[in-house]
Amino acid sequence: MTSKADREAVLTELYKSMFPVVAKYVAKMGGSFDDAKDVFHDALIIYYEKVVTGGLSVANDKAYITGIAKHLWFKKFNQAISTKPMDDIHFDIADEPAEHPSTNRILQYLQTAGKRCMDLLSAFYYDKLSMKEAGDKFGYAGERSVTVQKYKCLEKVRETVKQQSLEYADFIE
Amino acid sequence: MNGLLPTGDALVFEARLILNPALQEEVLLHKQTLALVKQYGREALRKDIEDIHQQLFSHPQHRSFKDSILRFFKH
Repeated sequence: MTSKADREAVLTELYKSMFPVVAKYVAKMGGSFDDAKDVFHDALIIYYEKVVTGGLSVANDKAYITGIAKHLWFKKFNQAISTKPMDDIHFDIADEPAEHPSTNRILQYLQTAGKRCMDLLSAFYYDKLSMKEAGDKFGYAGERSVTVQKYKCLEKVRETVKQQSLEYADFIE
Repeated sequence: MNGLLPTGDALVFEARLILNPALQEEVLLHKQTLALVKQYGREALRKDIEDIHQQLFSHPQHRSFKDSILRFFKH
């Protein structure tokens, strides 16, 4: 899943095949359309982070996504249920990374001022692309120039974080 | 450093961290930067998913899909 178009195609396919299953379940349990949408979006994000880019191997992708969505729905509404089969899943999208008012401010700043660098860096650190894949995606001639650009971007963002942290002293804890 | 360094190197690094506050700050800064980059990536993914949702629920060619979902919520 190295291009935006690839990712969109895969996600659209998952959306069409899996959202009906999750929506039906949430509706049956008394949830609303928006509840179903929320837990499904979070489930897709977790699936992407754990399986697509995280290297976790699961026997059945679709069963995994529905399992997570159900688990998130239980959590969200704190349903009184006696069995919690998904309790061994040790992650919660709300738990990571820590949301902090000044973190969001820095993020907003970077989304506009440093978009190209943030796109490049997140391709490595979030989407886990290789140097070659990132080079192709961002139109760099060789792996060497991607490496140099990545380094420059890391420096630039780090400097921004440093400056903004000084401005918003509560960022460093 | 989460096990990326061999044990001996990791110990040396830990020791340097304790002795060197400037290095501690660098490490913290690096962690914050990576956390921000990951958060940025996640927000971008969330937006892509939202866009797909909007397409499926607003374009006429996906009408039957939309209707089949909304039917679940008519109580």
